[in-house]
Amino acid sequence: MTVTTAWALLIALSAASTLLAASGLQGAAFTVAVLVLAGWKSRLILGRYLGLAVAPVWQRGFDWILALVLILFAVLALAA
Amino acid sequence: MTAPTPTRPQDQPSVLDSLPGELMMWVLILSELAVFGAGLAAFLAVRITDPAGFAEAQTHLHRTGAGINTVVLVTSGWLAALAVQAAEAGRKVRLRGLLALASALGVVFLVLKGSEYADLARAGIGFETHAFFTFSYLLTGFHAAHVIAGILLLGLVGALATPRAVETGAAFWHMVDLVWVLLFPVVYLL
Amino acid sequence: MKYKTQKIAIAYFAVALALFTVQVTLGLILGWIYVSPNFLSEILPFNIGRMLHTNSLVVWLLLGFFGAAYYLVPEESEREIHSTKLAYLQLIILVVGTAGVVVTYLFNLFDGNFLLGNEGREFIEQPRWVKAGIVVAALIFLYNISLTVLAGKKTAITNILLLGLWLLSLLFLFAFYNPANLALDKQYWWFIVHLWVEATWELVMASILAFLMLKLTGVDREVIEKWLYVIVATALFSGILGTGHHYYWIGTPGYWQWIGSIFSTLEIVPFFGMMAFAFVMVWKGRRDHPNKAAMLWALGCATLAFFGAGVWGFLHTLHGVNYYTHGTQITAAHGHLAFFGAYVSLNLAIISYAMPILRGRDPYNQVLNMASFWLMSGGMVFMTFTLTFAGTVQTHLQRVNGQAYMDVQDQLWIFYAMRFGSGVAVVLGALLFIYAMAFPRREVIEPGPAVAAE
Ligand code: HEM
Ligand SMILES: [Fe+2]
Repeated sequence: MTVTTAWALLIALSAASTLLAASGLQGAAFTVAVLVLAGWKSRLILGRYLGLAVAPVWQRGFDWILALVLILFAVLALAA
Repeated sequence: MTAPTPTRPQDQPSVLDSLPGELMMWVLILSELAVFGAGLAAFLAVRITDPAGFAEAQTHLHRTGAGINTVVLVTSGWLAALAVQAAEAGRKVRLRGLLALASALGVVFLVLKGSEYADLARAGIGFETHAFFTFSYLLTGFHAAHVIAGILLLGLVGALATPRAVETGAAFWHMVDLVWVLLFPVVYLL
Repeated sequence: MKYKTQKIAIAYFAVALALFTVQVTLGLILGWIYVSPNFLSEILPFNIGRMLHTNSLVVWLLLGFFGAAYYLVPEESEREIHSTKLAYLQLIILVVGTAGVVVTYLFNLFDGNFLLGNEGREFIEQPRWVKAGIVVAALIFLYNISLTVLAGKKTAITNILLLGLWLLSLLFLFAFYNPANLALDKQYWWFIVHLWVEATWELVMASILAFLMLKLTGVDREVIEKWLYVIVATALFSGILGTGHHYYWIGTPGYWQWIGSIFSTLEIVPFFGMMAFAFVMVWKGRRDHPNKAAMLWALGCATLAFFGAGVWGFLHTLHGVNYYTHGTQITAAHGHLAFFGAYVSLNLAIISYAMPILRGRDPYNQVLNMASFWLMSGGMVFMTFTLTFAGTVQTHLQRVNGQAYMDVQDQLWIFYAMRFGSGVAVVLGALLFIYAMAFPRREVIEPGPAVAAE
């Protein structure tokens, strides 16, 4: 994947977040969807912009960190 | 001193060597992720005590402006990534042009952000108005400070124009980008 | 010893150790006052004793750092120290200042005098003339060391050491700024107190530890430098805004509670890093250095600093916790183990390493030295536990149940009695250390098969 493809995907994902927010969807489905999109965007930035895609060990490490952080966010958000 | 025996642990290639770019920048990226991650988690934890108040407070932010800012930043990040490729290809003029565009988008981000702050200030909303604003000011303000630092840094590495400098400056800029895509949904959308 | 100007370090270490005895002896007296509050109340009131205890601690630690710099900079830069005379002049100024401080405090002289009187701010009580002397001494030191480094080889170790020493000297200038507003006074005061031990001194600590690891383990310099840079980066990143953990209740805006809690929690990272660094270097090291005592102190330093500063610091650093524990014996427990683990042990490590070389006394007197390590460290750890228990009980009775301060203190007697006992062990350990450094010419037990020394 080139950085340009990554950029196009990031724009698409951002649009998806906006649509999701505009859709009026609420509750757990909304929370999870928004956070999944955020995680996906983060992963693209780390992998393609910052170049972790060439260092699979590190990419996997960051995947874990991101996943745990987003799960924590989801739990806290859903507890409200 | 005797010749090193190859089986010693210190002579094996370190995993650190596979990390692209400057090690120190990765230390910084991880540190920033820890700080913003903790800040956002604290925000969500405090929100549990007053969901209605947080929801009401959130309506005072510029949600659309922040959404546009996401597009602005990821586009700016893309330009910075292209600048790294230009630097590696030795194309100085192109690299400087790309970095200038990336910085200009950084300024656009700050202008949109500034208009939100101005509206909040006009409405008399400050740090102490509500816990929501303590966090939103802290988190977005701290992030905006990084945008300013990033713009300066892009200018600096553009002047140096070596591949290593440009890569390091761009990495900082991507970190700013990364923090925003995590911050935006939590503060503006949830 | 490769450079003759390294000898300067002996004088610094000697004065440092002399003040170390003064410091711990006063500590013992203070510990007894906790047990029996009227002890010496006419001759040496608690507040005076406490000033001397903390001031002598800070001064001797700094003297140790200076000595360490005079020892290791020539070796790293491959140059003699720029000026021996200036180095001794610097020491004389500091000794005169210290003597002035002791006399001023003890006899409560010149109270209220702008230049000569005690300034009354915890840790920086020194009269203004002494503060000025400290600045002059610091300038001489920085000039002398910087010129040496600039003329010679520049290494990561000397770069970080110099950065730390320059920054800590600049921060000391805040001692001259004393706003009338108490909240502002405290805000700037922490620029010295906190940004010393949790930022700039950490740089000094990391670089001295790196030097010791380089010498004791023989691991490659590049590996050591990489660790050093990561430790320093995380220390500054977390430590600077970590100052916020002192801004919870002094009248600063509420957002400091979050800044302080988050950044100061990250302050554990560099201390963990230093501990991991020390152990990983020993594990990777291909050299079996005969100075086991220096190694023990270095590893003990990294470990106890992690517990005292990192773990015991984190214990009360979140504002929700600090709301209850602020200024209780929990703070005292932390302050003691942090200072001992990080900076006392660091100094004793470099002294243990350097002294035998400086005095041409290999094989080392390490059995006594190692005994002193266990005596002192055991004492300090036990003291930390007694104070932590005392602080826990105090927090509950005083801050949760709302009992009066002195009523609570009466109930803590047993902890203070045990703390005094641990203090005795520490003082004996300190004396044993000094004896081991100064007197025996030969190892007290027969050495095993010898291994080549550095
Ligand atoms: C070697 C490093 C350190 C030393 C020498 C040290 C020493 C001290 C001392 C002497 C005090 C008492 C200051 C006073 O009120 O007069 C103190 C307070 C405090 N320290 Fe540290 N400290 C260190 C590292 C840390 C770290 C890493 C943390 C946090 C993780 C921390 C957290 C605190 C807090 C929260 C207080 C305030 C306690 C209160 O509210 O009463 N310290 N420290
Ligand atoms: Fe502190």
